[in-house]
Amino acid sequence: MTNWEPVLLANVNRPNSEKIDTYLRYGGYEALRKALKMTPDQVTAEVKTSEIRGRGGAGFPAGVKWGFMPKDAPVKYLAINTDEGEPGTFKDRLIVERDPHSILEGVIIASYAIGAHRAFVYIRGEFFLGVKRWIKAISDAYQKGFLGKNILGSGFDLDVSVHRGAGAYICGEETAMLESLEGKRGVPRTKPPFPAQKGFWGKPTLVQNCETLANIPHIILRGGKWYSSIGTEKSKGMKIFCISGHVNSPGNFELPLGTPLKEIIYEHAGGVRKGRDIKAIIPGGSSTPFLTAEKINTPMGFETLQAAGSALGTGAIIVMDETTDMVEVVRRITRFYVHESCGYCFPCRIGGQRMLSSLERLAGGKGSKQDIEDLEYVAKGIYGRTFCPMGTGMAEPVLSGLRLFRPEFEMKTAKN
Amino acid sequence: MPNLIIDDLPIEVPAGTKVIEAAEQLGIIIPRFCYHKALGSVGACRMCAVKFLQGPFKGVQMSCLIDAQDGMVVSTTDEEAVAFRKFIIELLMLNHPHDCPVCDEGGQCLLQDMTVAGGHSLRRYLGRKRTYRDQNLGVFIAHEMNRCIHCYRCSRFYQEFAGYRDLGPTQIANRVYFGRFEDGQLESPFSGNLVDLCPTGVYTDKPARFQGRRWDFERLPSLCIHCSLGCNTIANARYRAVVRVEARFNDAVNGFFICDRGRFGFPYTNQPERPRQARIDGNESSLEDAVAGAGRKLADIAHRAGPNAIACLGSRRSSLETQGLLNHLCQLMQWAEPDYFLDPLLKKKVKSAISQLDSRVAVSLRQVETADFILAVGVDPLGEAPMLALAMRQAQRKEATVAVIDPRPVPLPFSFEHLAVPTWEMNGCLKLLMEEAMRKEDEKSAARDRMAAEEGWLRNNPASAEIRRQIAQLAALFQASRNPVLICGTDIVPEATPAVVGAWARSLLEEKGKCGLFYVLPDANAFGAGLLGAANDHAFLETVGAIERGEVRALIAVESDPFERFPDRSRLEQALAKLELLLVLDYVPSPMVQQAHIFLPTSTLFETGSTFINQEGRIQIAQPVYHGGTPLSQMNGGGHPPRVYAGGLPGGEPKPAWQLLIDLAGALSLAIETGAVENPLSLVASAHPLLAGLKNTSSLLDGVRCLPDVADAEPVPADMDPAVGPGTENELQLLFVDSIFGAEELSQYADVIRQVEGEPCLYMHTQDAERLGLVEGDRVLLTLDAGAIEARVCPSQSMAPGTLVLPRRRKLEWQKAKSFSTRVTPDRIEKLK
Repeated sequence: MTNWEPVLLANVNRPNSEKIDTYLRYGGYEALRKALKMTPDQVTAEVKTSEIRGRGGAGFPAGVKWGFMPKDAPVKYLAINTDEGEPGTFKDRLIVERDPHSILEGVIIASYAIGAHRAFVYIRGEFFLGVKRWIKAISDAYQKGFLGKNILGSGFDLDVSVHRGAGAYICGEETAMLESLEGKRGVPRTKPPFPAQKGFWGKPTLVQNCETLANIPHIILRGGKWYSSIGTEKSKGMKIFCISGHVNSPGNFELPLGTPLKEIIYEHAGGVRKGRDIKAIIPGGSSTPFLTAEKINTPMGFETLQAAGSALGTGAIIVMDETTDMVEVVRRITRFYVHESCGYCFPCRIGGQRMLSSLERLAGGKGSKQDIEDLEYVAKGIYGRTFCPMGTGMAEPVLSGLRLFRPEFEMKTAKN
Repeated sequence: MPNLIIDDLPIEVPAGTKVIEAAEQLGIIIPRFCYHKALGSVGACRMCAVKFLQGPFKGVQMSCLIDAQDGMVVSTTDEEAVAFRKFIIELLMLNHPHDCPVCDEGGQCLLQDMTVAGGHSLRRYLGRKRTYRDQNLGVFIAHEMNRCIHCYRCSRFYQEFAGYRDLGPTQIANRVYFGRFEDGQLESPFSGNLVDLCPTGVYTDKPARFQGRRWDFERLPSLCIHCSLGCNTIANARYRAVVRVEARFNDAVNGFFICDRGRFGFPYTNQPERPRQARIDGNESSLEDAVAGAGRKLADIAHRAGPNAIACLGSRRSSLETQGLLNHLCQLMQWAEPDYFLDPLLKKKVKSAISQLDSRVAVSLRQVETADFILAVGVDPLGEAPMLALAMRQAQRKEATVAVIDPRPVPLPFSFEHLAVPTWEMNGCLKLLMEEAMRKEDEKSAARDRMAAEEGWLRNNPASAEIRRQIAQLAALFQASRNPVLICGTDIVPEATPAVVGAWARSLLEEKGKCGLFYVLPDANAFGAGLLGAANDHAFLETVGAIERGEVRALIAVESDPFERFPDRSRLEQALAKLELLLVLDYVPSPMVQQAHIFLPTSTLFETGSTFINQEGRIQIAQPVYHGGTPLSQMNGGGHPPRVYAGGLPGGEPKPAWQLLIDLAGALSLAIETGAVENPLSLVASAHPLLAGLKNTSSLLDGVRCLPDVADAEPVPADMDPAVGPGTENELQLLFVDSIFGAEELSQYADVIRQVEGEPCLYMHTQDAERLGLVEGDRVLLTLDAGAIEARVCPSQSMAPGTLVLPRRRKLEWQKAKSFSTRVTPDRIEKLK
């Protein structure tokens, strides 16, 4: 078992880790001081060198995204996505509750780099403690002069405020989040224009996941080169993996990208409960396709998981042992997506209803071959044809479930 | 200009055109639910999927979301795209209640069409359908949410396009519900458009519910005559009754939409009280006898007292044909020219407004939407011309600045700058703003000189600091604008305002190369009345004096009810009682009809082809939709029609007013040109040079503008506002004004309109209310020279102090004033316990 010194989670287990004094005692806001002495372009260049990719699920290179922000726009915004809603994911919550200043420092550096003077934290409404910690962190940062006018004498101004979501999964999608932030219904926007062109109130906006931002201070302090030395060819840096399901010690583990799945499950998470065999693994949150036990040696990276037929997503690993009923798993996941569909475009909203209806019959032992055919027909119809990627996320578990575990589905129809 | 190929047909379209629009230009209608030309593309329904074979996009994509680009090769019939559309249709029918047999939308339903076209017939879904509880959305719209396919057209129209917030989507996922937060009348006066927009039967026309299928109706292009905009409609008639009115697309007038007054205001043509039988001295008679009797009496009076003893009162809601014939008859008989206006001041203002319009400056309603700066003077768009408010909102949505100079609490569904100054300050306020906006221009420019010469008569405006601040801000925006539009009302404005606004529009045209001018006139054919009655400044107010003096002994009122607008009801009643002959031609049971000695029933525009000129100078035609007659529902107690042969059309006596005027001329032994009987418009064509081209009606369906190239504009009167002034300190100016429901003549005959008009209010500024010790909801007795009016007080911050505003609601019986504009002292307002 490789032991890595934690970077993102270095603070979380210290007493009073959320307090600004604790954060400062362990070198907090040093990166900000360093960044403010650099030019914004140098900061962006450093982030580009680090090759860090977004940690919210889509994995878009952060430096490139920052580079898209128009230089000459007078008003720009930064929006911080703390709307963590993907089933199986609980990493952002940990950072927000235990180490909010690490994100805030990243926020200030990112705002400085892109020239934004206003940043908005969009946080999931259910994160009661997270909201409190965010607000406290921001007000403490104002007091210490890390926010407000003329930050640390640099002449750079930044205001940050917190906006609570009402608990809709779709608001984790960046454009839906912006709609919600503007006080409208959380439904995705047409892309293009991308938020970097027209975002919050039509102004260029950088939307970034909070784990991504928490990486920024470390990139600035230790350099982009250091960061890009960690990980695989196309997946750089440290990542918090959330492991849940049938493992002996579930939780958050910070490891370099590229750590094999097997190592995470058996060495860090204590192996499968009661020593059973693994039947299926969801490697990146419930919207990524299943992997079977054969793929257990796959390194956890963007490109490696794609090659294995799934995706890194948010890095939320759900382990299912040999006793798991896969039809039930697919039903449960689908039920979540049907419930959380924003109701905007047709295939996701109604297709989900139809899939769930078939799945409920199958899981309840009342299904027929027709239900399996329907399920496949509808999932294929939805796949890639919805307004936002959520529809595809809804179809993925069904399609991969059918691909990998079809006999189980057919078993359910045996009686009928 | 991108070139692309759709279904093997090449086409070149302007940049920014969506593929779905490009296909439409080729005549290929790609299926759609959420896409609507006025509402744009949102990509929700996924029905417009096509396959992109070559070019920057590949595979099945939504044609409403993708701009046409060079090198695109698109197939709308590709197997994969068709299969996907079929998949969507099947999903749509999952929850749909299949209640087409009892659904009003059946037969004109997009969902029905698409389901049939997509070939979906076998249900495979075995689960439960999701269901909803419906809401009572008021008297106009029936709600049936189970039919909903969630295309979001309704909320996009209601909230984004029209700017009202009380209807919208709630909940998420498959539970999305379109409705209000609770049951209740929809607040938007454009709510009827939901019926036209909804691709299925969620919103249906409530008054027309269960009256027939689309193919049952006699449907023809018609016009709305409930204000001066002349919105295009389609009227639907069945069983001798107009059942329903829909919006008809006209790119120069109303676009896709109409307002609720225009949509639901038609029942005057069906009402059981409608007078359908000629009457002599209260006794029913045949039409021939009544015409002959009228002829005899008129000849007798003319013989005894000369032609000047006969006066005619025309109507601004009459067709151009009727107005033209009435004018012609007066000329032949050497009677005085007919009055189309009660108030001489209003006549002057309308004439002046019409004279300002020419093809350089006049803009259509749709062009108002493209303005980047709108200045409206003395106009309450929602009350006087509702669709104008919608057009102004579209401009505002594209970031135009809108400023309104008006003393009233002008409610508009968007944010705008309101310069709430009293009427006598309006011209001064306008002048300040325009001069400020043109300050940096060449001092010697012709426009500047002209306005400088007017300095003498413009009072030095003591506008408050707030108004001056607003003016300074607006002036800067005005100066930067490239496509300004000036809108001017004719109702409450001082006499000079239409001419002042016209002069400014021409100055701006010189300065900027572009400036629009848009007047709002009183009533549907005020333009025609202004053209035909242009010879003098005579108005009906003077005729009333002449009747009282005994100089006028006979009055012919053609489709005109002076009781609607005449400020002193009792004076009018007494004057009419002195007449030897009151001959009334009309189609509504107005008080004039009750008092008439001889009454001749006329037909409505739904029954006779009629031509109208809207406020822009656009001549448009309404086609005869049905043959008239008493609606079947009003015969035999609404039961089955009798199985006996009738000699004619029951209740079919009414004739077009112009026809009756020809008959009357015959009874007076006059010969009208034979051509006129066939085509009454030929008489109109010779009546005014601007109408000279008006020979046939076939070209009028889309409208033709009758405007000169360069206006021979009436100058700004030398004596600006002789009648109005600030008065004494405590005095309040009382304005009688229009309101969207309840003050317009014809729509008031509709039950549904009366149900939504609400309680009439006396509006006053909060300051004035405080001074008078009044609060919201207090009832007051307002004593005027000719009686007292009881009304509820409605204090408002957003109106001019020193002004009282009272809508001319029929409910209110407001006609207690001696003159058209009146002032009251505070002691005339008494609070009721």
